[in-house]
Amino acid sequence: MLSTAEKIIFFLASLATIYATWKAIDRLVRIIGRGTGQLDWGLARKRLWSVLGKMVILKPTFNFRVGVSLAHLLIAWGFMYYMLVNLGDVLQGYIPGFRFLGDGLIGGIYRLGADILTVTLLVSLIILLFRRFILKPSDLTTRKTTLLHPKARSGILRDSAIVGVFVILHVGSRFLGESFTIAREGKDVWQPFATALSTLWVGWSGLEFAQHVAFWMALGLIMLFIVYFPYSKHIHIFFSALNFLLKPERRSIGELTKIDFDDESLEQFGASQIDQLSKIQLMDAYACIMCFRCQDVCPAYNTGKLLSPAALEINKRYFFNEEGTKFANGESSHQSLIEFAIPLEAVWACTSCGACVDICPVNNEPMRDILDIRRSLVLMDNQFPTQFQTAFRGMERTKNPWGVPPSERMNWAKGLDVPTIEKNPHPDILWWVGCAPATDVQAQKTARAFAKILKMAGVNYAVLGQAEQCTGDSARRAGKEDLFFELALGNVEILNEVKPKRIVTTCPHCLHTLKNEYPAYGGNYEVIHHSQLINELQAQGKLKANPAAAKEKITYHDPCYLTRHNDIAHEPRSVLESANVEIVEMDRKKEKTFCCGAGGGQAWKEEEHGDERVSANRFREVQASGADSLAVGCPFCMMMMVDAAKDANSPIKIRDIAEIVLENIESQA
Amino acid sequence: MKIIVFVKQVPDSTAIVSIENGQVSWGDAPLIINPWDEIAVEAALLQREEVEGEVIVVSMGPESAKEALKHALAMGCNQAILIGDESLKNTDSQVVAQVLAAVVKKVGEVDLAVFGKQSIDGEAGVVAAQVARLLKWPMLSMVSAVKKIEPGKTIQVERVVEVGRQVVEARLPVVMNVGKEFAEPRYPSFMGIRKASKAEIPIWTLADLGIAPILSKVKWLDLTAPPQPEVNTEIISGSSPEEIANKLVEKILAEKIL
Repeated sequence: MLSTAEKIIFFLASLATIYATWKAIDRLVRIIGRGTGQLDWGLARKRLWSVLGKMVILKPTFNFRVGVSLAHLLIAWGFMYYMLVNLGDVLQGYIPGFRFLGDGLIGGIYRLGADILTVTLLVSLIILLFRRFILKPSDLTTRKTTLLHPKARSGILRDSAIVGVFVILHVGSRFLGESFTIAREGKDVWQPFATALSTLWVGWSGLEFAQHVAFWMALGLIMLFIVYFPYSKHIHIFFSALNFLLKPERRSIGELTKIDFDDESLEQFGASQIDQLSKIQLMDAYACIMCFRCQDVCPAYNTGKLLSPAALEINKRYFFNEEGTKFANGESSHQSLIEFAIPLEAVWACTSCGACVDICPVNNEPMRDILDIRRSLVLMDNQFPTQFQTAFRGMERTKNPWGVPPSERMNWAKGLDVPTIEKNPHPDILWWVGCAPATDVQAQKTARAFAKILKMAGVNYAVLGQAEQCTGDSARRAGKEDLFFELALGNVEILNEVKPKRIVTTCPHCLHTLKNEYPAYGGNYEVIHHSQLINELQAQGKLKANPAAAKEKITYHDPCYLTRHNDIAHEPRSVLESANVEIVEMDRKKEKTFCCGAGGGQAWKEEEHGDERVSANRFREVQASGADSLAVGCPFCMMMMVDAAKDANSPIKIRDIAEIVLENIESQA
Repeated sequence: MKIIVFVKQVPDSTAIVSIENGQVSWGDAPLIINPWDEIAVEAALLQREEVEGEVIVVSMGPESAKEALKHALAMGCNQAILIGDESLKNTDSQVVAQVLAAVVKKVGEVDLAVFGKQSIDGEAGVVAAQVARLLKWPMLSMVSAVKKIEPGKTIQVERVVEVGRQVVEARLPVVMNVGKEFAEPRYPSFMGIRKASKAEIPIWTLADLGIAPILSKVKWLDLTAPPQPEVNTEIISGSSPEEIANKLVEKILAEKIL
């Protein structure tokens, strides 16, 4: 279809595009190459099929904003199909009379696909552009107080506009082009929409010329766009797949990387500069589509704090866009991460709840960047909220962040006949009590209730007693990794001597640390939550629930470290149901649970400045559920919700699952 | 300006102390730097930030006292010295004072000797004053702030007295001890801890100090623990403050306290 002159020009233009694209990709690769560590391509090979599968219905986008994600899916399908379409069009342009995939059934189906997807793509795109530019929803931008690269606010809009216009012109011209061809050559049953459009210009003398114009618009634009791509957030179409292919294997979204303090050669701990983040963390900036979903689910952002995980990734990306060439050449950034990517107050506002990691449709992990920055602040600069000192000192000296000494660690068990490991050295299950029952009144009630349940069911268990030390979770999330290192090694030594068959714990933070993070220190244990054990005991008939007890309306607050970090949502509910309660669910439940506000070390410090407490926000949701009672599964959630209830003057009863189960069993006595 | 600060390693404040075989025992409670001495180290470091100088931290004790010295090094002290000698077990405060005064003389050209208010195990609280007497230096006690310091010349401090604060001035060198009003001790940085853990701490014996073993003048004749009270804690709960108060009153009457 193309004239010889056109063929030559197109060929030269393609060469120029390839060259420019190659330079842009090279720059990009060198930028990412400045990060620490290595990318594990073996993982990519292993995951290839499952990632290709993910690209079919883009499941991770549907975590949130379902309608919008549907429109996006149609656009994505159109884009993916158009890789074939563009190839076919170029071939048809160069080879006279050539019909890509032939005139038969296969060719027909191909053209039908192109026709339908073209229309759905255009319609969906117009809907999304309408949403972004006319409706201007607040969840596509961030508050004015958020630290955002000065070019980003208008830059994101400009990027969307450029890409939107490009796609409309590219796809639209192609669509017009097909209609011109049909107008010249006759109806195509396999292209109903293009055929319908073609009726407008049947018999027009300019059709042949129009065909050429359409070709150059469609494919010429592609060449321009490919060169623009590496600077656009739309490069996520490649980087999201790479992100899913190359993310290191993790036992949980919250399993942090180990720093080996025995390695004398290490000079830098944590990340204060952008090149101290790992390659996969730098890649996050390229995968980020700037959709602000992570910000939408962030408990800190939602309560008016300065933290926005989205802004962090966007700032990294804009740094690469603006100063990436120098960075790629080996120059260091003249600003630290605290200065350009995320302010200090925002770093300390994070509750490490993992919602941002869980919701991200392109597999980004902003939380890990924040915790790496914390490590650098604590270990390199000795700069952290002063209130952490008490918790750190407590964990260092008495192995309990509240400073309660080992001699008082078992006081909660007075009168209950709780066997220690000395009395029962080979139990069926080890109960890791955790530090909370040693100090907090509410946690004591939970522990005592669970102890009674274990006795009732005749479980052969033991606790470590005074030998139990803090798992160090608070130290790790606060950035004090050296303290965590000491505690982890110490605990692993004790536990490996005890050799427990299984461990049950009443604290999800202990569960997470023991199960997911201790393996890196030589400790591999099967760890379950106390609700899971109660569930087992009920199934074995060892606990007799009272089905005739008065039915209570209860809502259950999923602890972040139980549900999001460890996928345990089912057993707490089935255990509660067995206790004859009517569960009314909150909207933000299971993996969508909203943090109580205690994680990330926040339990030990004053909350950063914001509009309201994270716990107050969550408690309002509890009240709105209409429940009379709140069930929790974590001593920290318990502390936060009890305080929030007091602040709100609320009569809502707050109990741990163990307490509720025990009350139900005892009600038939 | 040379500043010397003295620290002692003591059992953690939550340790349960008992008497075993006529000796005080704190079980396996961890040993820590005396909290008052930690404040003294902070005070010394703050003076070093005011005027150029170095801070030398010294402890008299067994090998384990090196941990307290390392803590002080991690906070930022320039040098550490351990005074260890077989004859220095279970001494009274005037022996300690004579040894520490000898240390100050041996280090030489010291402008300021800083002590914590007292140790949390012995709690005698007199060593600082005894050292001052032996050195014939002014003793500035209960210091809550250093207002002015001119190396080689004078120091002006604020002291805590019952009725308020008193400002006094003295010619350097002086001995001073500090209470918690002075400052919150800085948390030792990780990098500091790392450097300190590798530090080589010299041990000086009495021979190095050029003094002969000194006899204690105080003898401990007997050591007994007070009888352990039986403590039962019961937390009274209820659905309202009134209900809790009623329950409490019932219990008070039942126990015949009133």
